[in-house]
Order: sequence, then C-alpha cells, then structure tokens
Amino acid sequence: MAMIECRQLSKTYRKGASIIKPLDSLDLDVEQGSFLALMGPSGSGKTTLLNLIAGIDQPTSGSLTIAGQNIAALSRSKLASWRAKHVGYVFQLYNLVPVLTAYENVELPMLLHPLSRKQRHERVGTALSLVGLADRHDHYPRQLSGGQEQRVAIARAIVTDPQIIVADEPTGDLDKPSAHAVMSLLVRLNQELGKTLIMVTHDAATAEHAGLTLHLDKGQLVEQSVTAAFSGETATTHADEGGDA
Amino acid sequence: MIRLKYWPLVIKQITRHRVRSVLTILGVAIAMYLFVAIQAMQQGVAQTTEATAADTTLVVYREDRFCPFTSQLPEYYLQQIEAIDGVVSAVPIRVVVNNCRASLDVVTFRGVPRDLFESTIGQNIRFSAGTLGDWQKRSDAALLGETLAARRGLKVGDQFDAAGITVYVAGILESDEPQDQNVAYVHLDFLQQQVDRRLGTVTQFNVKVDDPERLGAVSNEIDELFASAEQPTSTRSEKAFVAQIASDMIELIGFTRYLGWGCLVAVLALVGNAIVLSVQDRIKEHAVLQTLGYPSALIGRLIVTEAAVLGLLGGLLGASAAMLTIRLTHLSFSVDGLSIPIEAGPVLLALGMALSIALGVAAGLVPAVQAARRPIASCFRAV
Repeated sequence: MAMIECRQLSKTYRKGASIIKPLDSLDLDVEQGSFLALMGPSGSGKTTLLNLIAGIDQPTSGSLTIAGQNIAALSRSKLASWRAKHVGYVFQLYNLVPVLTAYENVELPMLLHPLSRKQRHERVGTALSLVGLADRHDHYPRQLSGGQEQRVAIARAIVTDPQIIVADEPTGDLDKPSAHAVMSLLVRLNQELGKTLIMVTHDAATAEHAGLTLHLDKGQLVEQSVTAAFSGETATTHADEGGDA
Repeated sequence: MIRLKYWPLVIKQITRHRVRSVLTILGVAIAMYLFVAIQAMQQGVAQTTEATAADTTLVVYREDRFCPFTSQLPEYYLQQIEAIDGVVSAVPIRVVVNNCRASLDVVTFRGVPRDLFESTIGQNIRFSAGTLGDWQKRSDAALLGETLAARRGLKVGDQFDAAGITVYVAGILESDEPQDQNVAYVHLDFLQQQVDRRLGTVTQFNVKVDDPERLGAVSNEIDELFASAEQPTSTRSEKAFVAQIASDMIELIGFTRYLGWGCLVAVLALVGNAIVLSVQDRIKEHAVLQTLGYPSALIGRLIVTEAAVLGLLGGLLGASAAMLTIRLTHLSFSVDGLSIPIEAGPVLLALGMALSIALGVAAGLVPAVQAARRPIASCFRAV
C-alpha cells in the first residue's frame, strides 16, 4: 500500500466571476521513503497538490489517503492535529517568526506535543545540530543568513519527527552555495532518516536531487522522469498504469 | 485560557511593537483611572444616601430650610424629643461650615454637648490619636475626622482655624460613618458663642431610634409635636436627609456614570484597535502556526490572551493610580456641611482590573475568530 494515495483529486475555487481548477482529477501514489519533485509552469497545480498533501488545504472532490488515513474527510481541528504529527513543511521564504530565536522557532511545533521542557530542549538541540546550527540557537532570524534561516526552518519541520516533509521551492530564495547546502540536507533526511520528501521546484537542477520528478500542467500530470541515480524510485501515477499518459 | 508553555509567545508578541503596546496600555490606564475615580464617587453617594435595614438615625432640621446657616432650632426641643416613645438618644448639634457651597475642601464644625458626646456620637467612633478626656478638658478642643485631619495634615496638639474659629486638635477619630470622617467635633457652647454670641440655638438634632422599623413613626411624631411651634421641624432618616440636602451634587455625580461607561467603551476601542492591527500584521505568521499544527482555537486563544494582557496591564496601572490619588488626597464632596466621601477600596481595584481583562477579552474576540477561521492557503496567497 502506498504511503500517499490520491484518487480523482480535484481542487476548485472561485476567483471573482471565474472558477479556477488548479487540480483536476489527479491520481497519484507515493511510496514511503520517496523523494518526489513536482515541476510545472505557474498555475499548473503543483503548490496546490503540495498543500493538499500537507493538509493545509482540502480537496473539492476525490480522496487523499496518507498512511491509511483519508485526510480529505478530516475536520479542521483533526486535520491540524494530523499535521502536527505527520507533516513537516519547508517554505520558500522560510517563514520563521521574527520575534523568536532559532531555538524558539524550532520549539514551536514541539509545544503542541505532551513533552516536558527538558524533552523539548533535547529534541530542539538534536534538530539544530542536524542542520548544523546548534551554535546559533539564540540568534534571531534577522541575525541569520538566508541559508541559515532555511536550515532553521528545516529543523522546525523535522523536530517532531514527521513521516512526510513537504518543501515549496526550498532553494528558490537562496544563492547557489546555500541552495546546495539546503538540498544536501534534504537528501540526507530522505536517504538517512527515510523521510518521504515532496518538493515543488522550478529548477531542473534542484529536481535532479529527487528520485522522481512529476510534471504538472493545468492541474494534471503530464510527464514523469526518473533520475538515473534513483532507478528504484517508487511513485506511480494511474495514468501510467492505464497507459495513456 | 492558555497553558503556561505558550505564555512566552504571547509576551513576545506584546513586546514586538513596544510603542504601540505602551500607548495602548497607557490609553487603557487613563480610561480605567477615570472609571475608578467615577466609581469611587458613585460609591460615596451610595454609601451616604442608600438606606439600609440597620439605619436607626433621624435628623431633625428646621422645616423648609436646607442650609446650616438658616436652620435654627431651640436647644430646649431636646427634652421633648427624648421623651418620645422609641427614642433611644438625641443630641443637639450646631453646624458651622467655612464654605456653604459645593466644594472638595470644606471644614465642617459640629458643636455637641460635652456630656452627650460619649453616649451618642462616641458610640460610632474610635480614637486613632488623642482621647475623649483631652477633648473634654479644653473648651476650644476639637476631635477631627481622619479624612479632614489627613487632608489638612493636622495632628494632635496642632491648632487650626476655619470660618473664623480657632480650635485645638485634641484627637483624631476613625469612623465607618461618612459624616464623621470629615468633621471637627467641638463643644456646643463654644461654637454657639463663637458664631451666635449667645447660647440656646442649634442647627439640628440627631435622634437614635430603638427600631429601624419605627423611623417613620418617630419622625412623624417629632414633626407633629413642633408643627405649631415658632420653629417647626422636618425630620427624615439621616440618609434621606443627605440625599435631599445634597441632591444637586448627587445628580451631578450620578451623571458621571455615563462618563464611566464612556471610559469602558474607550478601553474596548483601544485594545480592539491594537489587536486588529497586530493580527493584520501577522496573517502569514498565524498561517505558519496553523501549518505547524496549531489548532484554530489555540490561535484564537493566543490572540485573546494578548488582548486580555493589554487590558490587565492598563487596568492595573490606571486603577492603582486612581486608588493612590484618592488615598493620598483624602478628598470628599461637601455641600451644606454634609460630606460625600470619594472612596476606593480593594473591591473597586479588583472590579477595575476584572473589567479591564473582560473588555480586553471582548476586544480580542472578533479579530481572534477572524484569524482562526481564515483558510491557511488563502493567508499565504494574500500576503
């Protein structure tokens, strides 16, 4: 059974008088431990798909089952609880809370869990060490470089040990060396810790880090490509199975 | 409201825009300062005019007279009043004030017979300084209510003059009766000689009745007794008397309750404005928190707590400052020799703070609900 199963997944919303359909009857399976890149032009539906998988948006129709749970049917509060346990989100613009230190930012998701202060301290310390910023724990976001901010954001995404990490253009706002460091970190999370990683990117070179790249256009999957180094990749689309991709 | 572990978040958000938060707190403080001061005046009116089941004091005044300078009754009425069934005690009092108009600093002399003081007025008072013996020894001795003594900075052994009368301070009194707190008790004959140059005329009689339910019957009997005398009387309960004599002042103070409500609306608007601005600044941040798994209800509670803290800090500052001012100035309204105290105790402080918190919560509710209900994805699109 796939870790993520999308069946006839559609999203529609109204913008003024017109109806926008960023995702149209999408079928997709993603196996546990995959590293999936989503590419496509603006408005192709990749961020919408990412948001649906992350549980921060809900589909208009279809089902979305993650680890056996149909999250499309969850109430708003249950979905919040599900997100807290299962998903870590990495934003393009980091989205750290500016009045909190790196430590406090990483601690934010931990506050939702029934852990002691000491346990939280240990987990935050571990996450910051993993991203190489243990010595910057008391720095505020304004005191960090873009790359460092993104690494803190990654630490925040992994501190609760979620099964899935979603990243929306995580290197989109970074210079090359920082982008490389961030991508190396994400690859490590996937390969060493077995996290299922789904990443939206515009950059083909960044997508090369993923095992499988799915191309979307007008809310539908139009192409997939497997990176040579990841010949055993594990995402399938039902279009493939039907032979009409 | 929220668990302890979330408090640092709230504090950081409040201190994030220091100037805005400080101005909001100051605004709330000023509004609550006014509210508490107004409530203190309202309480004073209630304390001096609202009858209770335990009231047993009647005031006998000259009919159709409303000022101590014009109410003149023969002192010999005393024996006839004392003879009425139900009267426990009666005391003739000559009242002289240094200012007959409404004022915040009036000195009221009450002349009382030396031998009747202990058995009548003396029953309701405690000496914080001096003794009754000291007062009885000197003809120009005065016993000062603690409010008057504090306001004028007087202590035992001092001499002071008002209304052309110079007295020696023989003692300072504490009393639960508002009319005792702001007066100088002197010997009746001393005051009569100082003012009238003759004996035998008093302003009023204070009459103690054995049963509160007989107040009406006894007052009627007194007035009927002197109805055809040269100086007819008008007898009312002490609180009804104060309510009538000081009616203009009481009406004015009553009007201030609308100002008090205005202050509460100001608190609501100030905190509401600060929280709306703060929430608008943080639409994306709240979306990030929700992305991390923070439930909408928790986001809402964090915002409401921020508002409540702003209200609490402003309320604490304003209410405490008002209490301090009232305590230090010892002011009371006086009209025609009657005193309406301005009093603020711990209950009023607690009320001011509780209202500030409640208004803070109310002001934070709408922005909190709006922030909590906003779809996460649209927040990211909106910014």
